[in-house]
Amino acid sequence: MNQAIQIKELSIQIKDLSIQVKDLRIHAGEVVIVDSLSMTLKPRMPLTILGETGSGKSLLAQAIMGLLPDGLSVTGSIRLGNQELLQMDRKTLQRLWGRSITMLPQEPWHSLDPVMKARQQVAEVHEVVHGVDSASAGAAADKQLQQMGLSAAGQKIPTQLSGGMAQRLAFAAATAAGASIVIADEPTKGLDYRRRDDIVRLLQQRLEQGSVLTITHDIEVARQLGGDMIVMRKGQVVERGKASDILANPKSDYAKQLIAAAPTQWKPLPAKRKGCDSDRILSAEKISISRGGAELFKDLSLTLNRGEILGITGDSGAGKSTLGDLLLGLTRPDAGQIRYSHKIPRHQMLKLYQDPPAAFAPNVKLGTLLKELVRLHKLDESRIPPLLERLQLDPGLLQRTSDNVSGGELQRIALLRALLPNPVILFADEPTSRLDPITTQSITELLAEVAREYHCALLLVSHDPVLVDKVCDGVISL
Amino acid sequence: MKKTLMQSSHSQRIGALVLLALLLFAVLEALFHQGSSVKQNLSLYLTPPNWDAWFGTDQYGRSMLARMGSAIRLSFTLSFICVLTSATLGTLLGVLAASHGGWVDRSLGFLVNTLLALPGLVLILLFAAIAPGSFLVLYLAISLVLWVEYYRVVRAVTLTVVTGPQLQSSMLLGFGRVYLFRRHIWPAVKPSVLTLAAFGAANSILALASIGFVYVGLKPPVAELGLMVVELLPYYSEAPWVIAQPLAAIFLLVLGFNLLAGKSS
Repeated sequence: MNQAIQIKELSIQIKDLSIQVKDLRIHAGEVVIVDSLSMTLKPRMPLTILGETGSGKSLLAQAIMGLLPDGLSVTGSIRLGNQELLQMDRKTLQRLWGRSITMLPQEPWHSLDPVMKARQQVAEVHEVVHGVDSASAGAAADKQLQQMGLSAAGQKIPTQLSGGMAQRLAFAAATAAGASIVIADEPTKGLDYRRRDDIVRLLQQRLEQGSVLTITHDIEVARQLGGDMIVMRKGQVVERGKASDILANPKSDYAKQLIAAAPTQWKPLPAKRKGCDSDRILSAEKISISRGGAELFKDLSLTLNRGEILGITGDSGAGKSTLGDLLLGLTRPDAGQIRYSHKIPRHQMLKLYQDPPAAFAPNVKLGTLLKELVRLHKLDESRIPPLLERLQLDPGLLQRTSDNVSGGELQRIALLRALLPNPVILFADEPTSRLDPITTQSITELLAEVAREYHCALLLVSHDPVLVDKVCDGVISL
Repeated sequence: MKKTLMQSSHSQRIGALVLLALLLFAVLEALFHQGSSVKQNLSLYLTPPNWDAWFGTDQYGRSMLARMGSAIRLSFTLSFICVLTSATLGTLLGVLAASHGGWVDRSLGFLVNTLLALPGLVLILLFAAIAPGSFLVLYLAISLVLWVEYYRVVRAVTLTVVTGPQLQSSMLLGFGRVYLFRRHIWPAVKPSVLTLAAFGAANSILALASIGFVYVGLKPPVAELGLMVVELLPYYSEAPWVIAQPLAAIFLLVLGFNLLAGKSS
């Protein structure tokens, strides 16, 4: 008890503390990953770090938490009030975790205990971190759940919660110990826009009790949070200032590109010319399917024509990928039927995947993989060079293996591989969700253009309704 | 075999060196010494090593050099074919169970659990007792015990591969089973299979020696390491250097294979 009171005093003391980062350099051997970064995180003033994946943003969060992976060396200083965090030993640091600094988990529902009731997940934090008895911990948890609008969910386990509720619960658990400084590293990664806005709102609420550092590549998150902003690229600070100023009037080329690449800024693609019925590929009538006892969708009807781009949006777990499997004939609907106008060979109904490296055989040259495909279907190998050019790919890439090519390039090679057999249906399952905004824009536009050129039907799955709206002829929301 | 010498660790290189030396000895002995491992000469009872008989002779005056060469060749041959058989069988059935699922997976699972319920050595003893002195039966029994490990590991690894996008993308592109195995499944299971193969070789050598030692394996006058140990046991104080030879060979073979199995750095 006594200790609990002491800790409470400590956290009141540091409630108004700021984090000062000075000249932070993180390097792995000779390679500098973060170069002389300085910033101040002040109470009640949101700070957002914007940049593409792989620009060293996440390492900053890990450095502040003292969780840098082994093998990285760090110089400079990170001060919390008058304490130097970089020199602190692990034990002292651990006492700060949760009580004064907390890091929000990425993809929050993955960090919940799948078999523990919601109320207990929050109450446990009070019990273990603050050392209060279980009755008052429960009361504190109830209060928190009520604030988050989760009162009714207290006795449910995470799988019984909706995605949004699970997310709020994870947020509640992460902040239950009363940390005044919240570090959110890509808190909206892989989320659809509604949940993204929820998370931003929660972060804004936290601002009343302290400070919030958000690391993101999503312009929209930065815009909604406001406050200060730092734009980073390859470990270097490219631009800094007020978020509203930078977003309205970016000075650096990189910030300009990044802001222009947000789907809201895209020019809509020309719509498909009116198709005739001979273009019909398939029609699905009142199809329903359930997975693991839960109904994903019911009585869904749709038609698909050649050259058409159909968007599919919905929350994660809504059955977007399952719909793809159904339309590609990989699984059967529970009810209803899918009619194909004519039989399509197996290798002309293809997929693009979310995680490009996961879709290629490892340790084999990409060129070899393509040659094997050409040989299998007796395709014309001379089509590869013009396709490479069309997809803005360097022919030298084919001499490398999939793990030595960047995600954006690999996704374009996946597109090339899918185009070689002249696909009739191409199902792109969130093909850009792991890529940064600039690459997302170029790949999405390329995808739509070549789908039209190849006269193939493109099913584009995305959690971003804005993106889908700009590119697609029609949208199915699950 | 893409694994080059550069990638292997220090201990793996030592293991390979030990095995290579033993193999070289066994092969050179067969090529140049050409002594008989069974020819008796009672006047040469337990002679210590000398210029004519480098390794000395045993209680029947048989050349220990010839007997050791023959015994090591026997162990290498048996371990090689046992590993080859069990690895092939285990890998194929593991892939089959993982990719087919359903009743195939269930019945193979039942078979494997049944085999696992019996201690391996007991099963080998059982087989050996049915047909005493038969090399073929020993080989079958040891392979039967060893394939289970490959099956379990390969099945587990293959399960994650067959549900992943990597294999599905190639399947959608129309590639056949052989291609899917060669490009996607084999690269994923290869490191585990090779490690298991090295351990499996050591285990088969130990199994052969163990049942030789309890006298249910191969029959005299065959030169077999376990059998030699038990035959020479009565003379251990009189001629310790004779019994030390098969013991050292077993030790080095097992050590060599276990070092070879170690993780590459």
